[in-house]
Amino acid sequence: MSREKILIQQVGHTYTPPTGAPVRALENVSLEVGENEFVALVGPSGCGKSTLLYMVGGFLPLREGRILVDGRSVEGPGPDRGIVFQHFALFPWKTVRQNVLYGLEKQGMEPARRREVAQRFLDMVKLSGFEDVYPSQLSGGMKQRVAIARTLAIDPGVLLMDEPFGALDAQTRGLLQEELLAIWGRTRKSVLFVTHDVREAVYLADRVAVMTARPGRIKAVLEMRLPRPRGADVQRSPEFVERSEEIWKLVREEAERAEGLPGR
Amino acid sequence: MLGNAASPLVVLVAWESFARSGFVSAYLLPPASAVALRLAEAVWSGEILREGGRTLVRMLVGYVLAAALGVALGVLIARVRVVRWFMDPLVSIGFPAPKISFLPIFILWFGLFDLPKIVMTVFACVFPVITATWAGTDGVDKYLIWSAQNMGTRNRALLWEIVLPAALPQVFTGLQVALPIAFIVVIVTEMLTGGGGLGGGMMEGQRFADSTRVFANLVAVGVLGILAMKGLAFLRRRLLVWHEEVQREGTVA
Amino acid sequence: MRTAGRYLPLALLLAAWEAASRLGWVPQSMLPSLSGVLALWWRLFTEGEIYTHGGASLLRAGAGLALSILVGIVLGILMSWSRPVRRALQPLVGILYPLPKSALIPILMIWLGIGHLSKVAVIFLGCLLPVVLSSFNGANGVDRTLIWSAQSLGAGRRSILREIVIPAALPEILSGIRIALALSFVLLVSSEMLAAREGLGFLISFLGEAGNYEGMFAAVFTVAALGFAADRGYLALVRWALRWREA
Repeated sequence: MSREKILIQQVGHTYTPPTGAPVRALENVSLEVGENEFVALVGPSGCGKSTLLYMVGGFLPLREGRILVDGRSVEGPGPDRGIVFQHFALFPWKTVRQNVLYGLEKQGMEPARRREVAQRFLDMVKLSGFEDVYPSQLSGGMKQRVAIARTLAIDPGVLLMDEPFGALDAQTRGLLQEELLAIWGRTRKSVLFVTHDVREAVYLADRVAVMTARPGRIKAVLEMRLPRPRGADVQRSPEFVERSEEIWKLVREEAERAEGLPGR
Repeated sequence: MLGNAASPLVVLVAWESFARSGFVSAYLLPPASAVALRLAEAVWSGEILREGGRTLVRMLVGYVLAAALGVALGVLIARVRVVRWFMDPLVSIGFPAPKISFLPIFILWFGLFDLPKIVMTVFACVFPVITATWAGTDGVDKYLIWSAQNMGTRNRALLWEIVLPAALPQVFTGLQVALPIAFIVVIVTEMLTGGGGLGGGMMEGQRFADSTRVFANLVAVGVLGILAMKGLAFLRRRLLVWHEEVQREGTVA
Repeated sequence: MRTAGRYLPLALLLAAWEAASRLGWVPQSMLPSLSGVLALWWRLFTEGEIYTHGGASLLRAGAGLALSILVGIVLGILMSWSRPVRRALQPLVGILYPLPKSALIPILMIWLGIGHLSKVAVIFLGCLLPVVLSSFNGANGVDRTLIWSAQSLGAGRRSILREIVIPAALPEILSGIRIALALSFVLLVSSEMLAAREGLGFLISFLGEAGNYEGMFAAVFTVAALGFAADRGYLALVRWALRWREA
């Protein structure tokens, strides 16, 4: 019984667009996420990090390699792997509360308990009072908090996050990063977090994996070794700066390669 | 590609066998083969070309007039306040009203030959073109205009060089909406006022219990419609080459 | 007050119309006076003719439209959701789309006569395609992250179709129905003018042929007003149904 919650082994993926030649998105990718571990995945645009996440989520077919979650191979999407998308993916015709209730209904929970659980998570993301509002009336940050509440409410085994704060302005992003850390501190789920923001990765994660330019491979995996619980002030510590520089250097090499600029 | 032709073929075969089965009289459902034969005769005798040409000309004249008028009005409404004030209620009331109901009035004013058909077509088609041109002209990205002005473009050139090209996709969509309307209207007016054409031919067929003729004309109308739409789509691809590519680029990444 | 101002140009036109006929600029045979038309309009309503004909028309349009909406949505969504259905129906839709729907009137008259049924059939068949297409496009265009979210929250295929795809496609479906609504009026009036024993289209041609031009104008405006009112009413309905959209 290994300690990995998510095991990705030698995964490859080719993507065929409707017009044009097939594209090799991922090449021999291997990565693990342990129990209670927060792993961030960074890399240049188009490196395939979101593609990898979608394969763990079961949304894209797996034809090369293995992906095991909790020892079971991934066969399709399911509530054991909760996902949070960059553009929130809230059901716009449902209110905030109805969105959070949705997954609980699918689990067959009785109505009274459903409401109780939904309320608990809405309070946790600090949206009490907004339960009967439609998503179109919320700001970006609030929408993402609803999305997080909706996913956490079904208590998934692992959490997959696809650049969840990418669509938000810098200030909101900072606030939500702190809130995510606080919430995660309480539940300590295994998280695979995709982002292009190196500082965000270092701030949130236990380990950071760097992907190469397309076709994506794992270039390096670094341990952050920063104290937990951590607050925003950790971003001023010398260790934080050091880690960020290390990772940024690696990402930058790949980013230059992706942009077609001469690399070092 | 072969899968594409499968269901129409199935329908044709079903039509032919059902028509020949004896369940329905040849009056109600002439076999597809009889219709095809009649069509072939009509092509050979030139009848199809003559009648189809009549319908096509009426439609084209009305459509082109409606397009020119609609675009001009649409731009004026978007840019000149007085025109907008005057036209806004007319357009917003006129648009959802079934304009074909005005045909008897046009017959009263213009008689029974080509003129009421063309006027009716213009009347019916001008509204979607106005609306689309208005919206397209209004909706031109103001940053495009500011950039052009920043580089010294003056007002009249601004209209022709920046605003109209930028509005063209939406204008074209309005034109594409107006095309089937033109067809529907021409066919109906031909059916109602006679004077030949494919619509007139269908009504004559119905009147003389010649259902084969009705079906044959129907097929001809369908073919004409397909050709016209493909023609317009081709024109769009050529004129808006830049627009389609921008759209496709967005989805590949 | 502002809405009244918006329609001022219309009032001016109507005034010009009345002036033109009063002052004899236009002969009565071409353009009856506005007051004459209004008087006859009033008579049509008080003498009840308008109700029998109007009722017949609305019944036919309503039935044809309702059927086309029901069948159209089902077909469109099935086409989007199931590949074999799409492969079977898409080429047929492609061929039938450019066909002007009014061309169906003579055939349906041959098959179903000139009573209610042929009109309902014309409207049903004519309005079917816009609804099918908009349902198809709407269902196709559903943001895949919505579907993926539902899947990762444990929803099965059937419930995703019912609970996610249809609501997400609703805006597009509703705009297709608006087109069908306008088309239903056009097909109704066309077929009633061509051959009918009752109905507003019939009334228009009947009055015209009888030389009762004031009546004819009045009937034309009744139809125009109905079409306008139906569209406005529909838009209000759509605004309510899509109230979650306003930001």
